[in-house]
Amino acid sequence: MTSILEFILRLAVWLLLAPALPGIINKVKAWVAGRQGPPMGQLYYDLARLWKKSVVMSTLASPAFIIGPAVAWIAVLVAAMFLPLGPVGGAPGFHGDVLLFIYLLAVARFCTTWAAMETGSAFEGMGSAREVSYAVLSEAALMTAVLSLGVQSGSVTLNEMLATSAGAGAVLLAAGLFTVLLAENSRVPFDDPNTHLELTMIHEAMVLDHSGPPLAVILHGASMKLMLFAVLLAEAVLPLGNMQPLMATFALIGAVLAVTIGVGLVESLLARFAFRRAPLLLTTAFLFCVFALLIAWKGGAA
Amino acid sequence: MMSGPLLLLGGIGLLAGIVFGRRRPRLWLVATVIGNASLIVAAALVLSGPDDWQWRNGFPIGGELLHFRLDGLSGLFLLLLGIVGAAGAIYAREYWSDEHHAESAPRGRAWWSAMILSMTTVLLSSNGLHFLIAWEVFAVSSFFLITLDRANREVRAAGWLYLACSHVGTLCLFGFFATLAARTGGWELGPMREQAGLAPLLWLALPGFALKAGLFPVHIWLPSAHANAPSHVSALMSGVAIKLGIYGLLRFSGWLPVPAALGPVVISVGAVTALLGIAFAFAQDDVKRLLAYCSVENVGIIFVGIGGGLLGMAHADAPWGRVLLAGALLHVWNHGLFKALLFLCAGSVLHATGTREMTRLGGLWRTMPWTASLFALGSVAISALPPLNGFVGEWLVYLGLFDASTSHGPAAWAAMPATLMLATAGALALATFLKAGAVIFLGVPRTRAAGHAHEGGRLMRGPMLALAALCVGTGLAPVLLWPAINRAVGVWNSSWVAGAPPAPLLTLGLVNLTLLAAFAAGSVWLWRKAHANGFRRGLTWDCGYAAPTPRMQYTGGSFAGIVTGWFAEILRPERVQQRPRGPFPSSARRIQRAPETVLERVIAPAAAGVLRVSSAARRLQHGRVQFYILYLTGGLTALAIIVWWGGIQ
Repeated sequence: MTSILEFILRLAVWLLLAPALPGIINKVKAWVAGRQGPPMGQLYYDLARLWKKSVVMSTLASPAFIIGPAVAWIAVLVAAMFLPLGPVGGAPGFHGDVLLFIYLLAVARFCTTWAAMETGSAFEGMGSAREVSYAVLSEAALMTAVLSLGVQSGSVTLNEMLATSAGAGAVLLAAGLFTVLLAENSRVPFDDPNTHLELTMIHEAMVLDHSGPPLAVILHGASMKLMLFAVLLAEAVLPLGNMQPLMATFALIGAVLAVTIGVGLVESLLARFAFRRAPLLLTTAFLFCVFALLIAWKGGAA
Repeated sequence: MMSGPLLLLGGIGLLAGIVFGRRRPRLWLVATVIGNASLIVAAALVLSGPDDWQWRNGFPIGGELLHFRLDGLSGLFLLLLGIVGAAGAIYAREYWSDEHHAESAPRGRAWWSAMILSMTTVLLSSNGLHFLIAWEVFAVSSFFLITLDRANREVRAAGWLYLACSHVGTLCLFGFFATLAARTGGWELGPMREQAGLAPLLWLALPGFALKAGLFPVHIWLPSAHANAPSHVSALMSGVAIKLGIYGLLRFSGWLPVPAALGPVVISVGAVTALLGIAFAFAQDDVKRLLAYCSVENVGIIFVGIGGGLLGMAHADAPWGRVLLAGALLHVWNHGLFKALLFLCAGSVLHATGTREMTRLGGLWRTMPWTASLFALGSVAISALPPLNGFVGEWLVYLGLFDASTSHGPAAWAAMPATLMLATAGALALATFLKAGAVIFLGVPRTRAAGHAHEGGRLMRGPMLALAALCVGTGLAPVLLWPAINRAVGVWNSSWVAGAPPAPLLTLGLVNLTLLAAFAAGSVWLWRKAHANGFRRGLTWDCGYAAPTPRMQYTGGSFAGIVTGWFAEILRPERVQQRPRGPFPSSARRIQRAPETVLERVIAPAAAGVLRVSSAARRLQHGRVQFYILYLTGGLTALAIIVWWGGIQ
């Protein structure tokens, strides 16, 4: 009974709280720039508005144009449900669920890019090509990070890997995961979520032709993915499993907020990189994770 | 045991196929399908039961008594062979029909049965000499299948390259079997782990089998052969034939003592193969070459698993070694299914449009909805995405690597780099298949041929659907296949035979099932919602551009541009570019090609050097008797001096 209740609670947290994060980021950016900015709940209004709108679909697109966003959204949601959320608990988990977690994110990427390519537009092609190309580096970095957590904790189950702290390599791991977060969620300096209709963007370019409920699902999925990476980063670094439940909750909320504000600050203080430099930054993130892995190896063997 | 009669029936069916192939196509199809079906059932019986099947006969061939054996390991490969062999035979009836290929279709049918029969014999042979003979027949029959369309120069070149490479491999194997026979005193094969002196022999077998499997850098024959062969032949070669190289390595590393360094070598070569294979695949424009390079990648993944198994055996039979070996075997099965499916899909596209170049295709989903959906399904499977079968196999491999890393043993130094390379290769595989699927099937047709495509008939769709169903089934219920995998693992290393699945396969199957249900429910829900809100079609919103042309779409080359740049040092992409000039440009073009670097930059120059030396040496042989007498005298004098010198010493 409690497990069902926990399940519903976790589902509610992911579905309802995720759209708040982009609002926080925008508030931070507005604060740094000295503007008032859009209200925190802007994304909720947008989602509600889009949900009621009708759909225009390209004449070229197949049904996968709508199936793609739906599957991607569910894949991100299921991946998120594997993450433990402090006192609300996590999915029971099984040996090797961490790999399912990573590959669910890949499913989401496949479906989003496939739906984008449906339209035959060069812009969507550009966005998809960038998305899958950068994902090569960010997935390698993510896998390295996860492997270092595995070596540190001696486990391949997500619950147990995230319960302990990342050990001596925590700073490196945090830096690496934070960069991966920025790249995977199309934030500055990899992409600028504010620009529209530019040749320089990734995520926005892929969803140019989507409208109505499918676009709402895409935007909601993107906010869930942001929260997923923020939670993953927080839990990877902090030893939440060793804290009191109440402490752990506050620590988790605080850490997720800190990450979100950090994204906002990066976005305010940095300009988007030239595309040629983005792989360099991602490679740096990958190297951070490799060093974290080596430190975890050294620490674990001692 | 029923396996013996069934195998006999299979052999008779395939022999009848060879006989009827030329004149009686219907009878050929019936005989071949019955033959393959009996192979499937025989293999399934051996895999589900506890006993092996063995058969000896006093009748000698080549001075050696016949000895056939079907155990868990060969059974798994035989099962795959039967499935792909039957599917390809049915497909070929329409794809390579007598109307379109009057000259080559009869030959193709006979060689098809011959190839399956020879591959079956390779799998069953338990005698080194017969293994070699069957191996050679198998190589030759696949040569004739590759060159079915022999009027085409490119096809002939691909065939010769294949034959040459294949024989280099056979040479290694000949050395291996001959030395083995000399050491053991007979050609008879079987478990001989206790004779430690035989261990170095595996170093001779490894290159021979790696050549057949297409491991980097001896994969050079594979892309052109798989691209130029008729598609049903590509499916059989990529799905099963290259797996016989893997079978060979598994067979003899399971029977012979293993040198200590073999595990790390196999695992590192496999990881490098996976990464470079998929990088080459991503850069290709020819869809069948892309699929062929992707086979190189998958063979790399399988080798990582096998290397892990070897490593695990060396580390006191560590449990993660069992997981890795099981992952490799499962991936053999999975890759055989989805790669055959993808090649058959590519064949349908080629059949409908007459081109393999993706830049000339596009928008085919409208005219070929079945092929498009099945290609998409195959892409999801081969990109190892849940909930399909590709994920289950790669999940086991990753899990084994993770377990090896977290065990803190020295094996982690092989496992950790391999994990990172596999992760990179995995992301690249997704990009590759997204590119292939999207450029071929989505958007607007880029040429008229692509616009007038048509769906294949029932004989082509049926086998594709069957393969796709097996992909889905394996993904949702991997636990059903576990007994077979476990049996093969047990044959390889008997101390791993006992016990439940080492990984929660049942849970994973349930998760996959739930995922599939959730995906379906979500899609239906969003589809209904979109239609309920009001739904209309409009022109693609190309940022306001109202007159898009097919040429404005992103092409495969532009899609792969970023990654090709990263790997430029290895891929060496070639460009021919002519920019538009002047106010009224008359012509402009840009041709991009990703060459087979190892072949064109390493092997071809080396071969040219060898040719130069040998043509220089040929001047010694000119037909003048006087000079030959001079050579003889010179040789005899030299020998005399050596003997005399030896006498003084």
